[in-house]
Amino acid sequence: MRIFTVLGIIFYAAITITIGIALIAFSLNLLQPQNINDFLAYVRAYPNSRIIVGLLGLLFILVSFSFAQLILGRFQREKTIAFMTSSGQVTIALSAVEDLIRRISHHMPEIKELRPDVIATKKGIMADLRVVLRSESNIPELTARLQDLTRTKIQEVLGIEEEIVIKIHVAKIISAEEKEKKRKEAERLEQPTVPFSGYGRV
Amino acid sequence: MTHRDESRTDLGTIKIHKKVIASIASLAALEIEGVKSVGGDFKSGLLELIGKKSLSAIKVEIGANEDVRVDMPLVIKYGYNIPEVANKVQESVRNSLEKMTNLSIKDININVQAIERG
Repeated sequence: MRIFTVLGIIFYAAITITIGIALIAFSLNLLQPQNINDFLAYVRAYPNSRIIVGLLGLLFILVSFSFAQLILGRFQREKTIAFMTSSGQVTIALSAVEDLIRRISHHMPEIKELRPDVIATKKGIMADLRVVLRSESNIPELTARLQDLTRTKIQEVLGIEEEIVIKIHVAKIISAEEKEKKRKEAERLEQPTVPFSGYGRV
Repeated sequence: MTHRDESRTDLGTIKIHKKVIASIASLAALEIEGVKSVGGDFKSGLLELIGKKSLSAIKVEIGANEDVRVDMPLVIKYGYNIPEVANKVQESVRNSLEKMTNLSIKDININVQAIERG
């Protein structure tokens, strides 16, 4: 772990602990509102202390921005599959692999909805698929077919030989009745309503 | 950071703006079968929404030795082999840039951002 990361973690831990201690002290009545007031009045009374507090605030903001950028940058870097060619580097965003898996599901009418989550590890690629199925489908046969198709397609499109693990989680099965109910509901909402149609002439 | 690549002739200097390099790279990439578009990141998506071309998505860096490094995000069409398409794009961009600008190309880094959504 780099020194900057360690410093950032210590900084955040220190701030969080200080706020925590202050809140506990306040709830235990060890810290009086008067103490806070005195401190703020002291800071406000002297121009130098006000400048110091302002600069401290600015420093906190800068440190927090750079730390956030560091974390986000690291997450972004990890979210790609990279390989080198003679002309340079090729990186493939994992979201592109997720797009690919979504497209595969379009070829299977039994799948109502599919939400993929792809992770790249040192061992290979791990894809977690959360699916919503239609009731008429045979789940073991369908999931096996989906796993096989996804694996083949990823290997074919990405040209990788690492291990590909496909996990499927069937989140919901939509019945034909439910589908019919939803269709009727949608039709009902689409029908235009005449305003004041319920009133009769007196 | 250098904004333009500059070369000197007997009659004066020739400056090639980074945007020109990005434009050549973009056109060369779009010639390859399997490439849907150049861009695909959040910023270029926003620019496309307001009808602007996503040339800003292509990053061009010119080093001290006048060697060029190009980073380009791509959206690939469904059903194509990504490494194969990326390789063809790198070759096409290199050839086009060398032919049109006489620059020495160091790296062409491809970043596949998405697969065309159906």
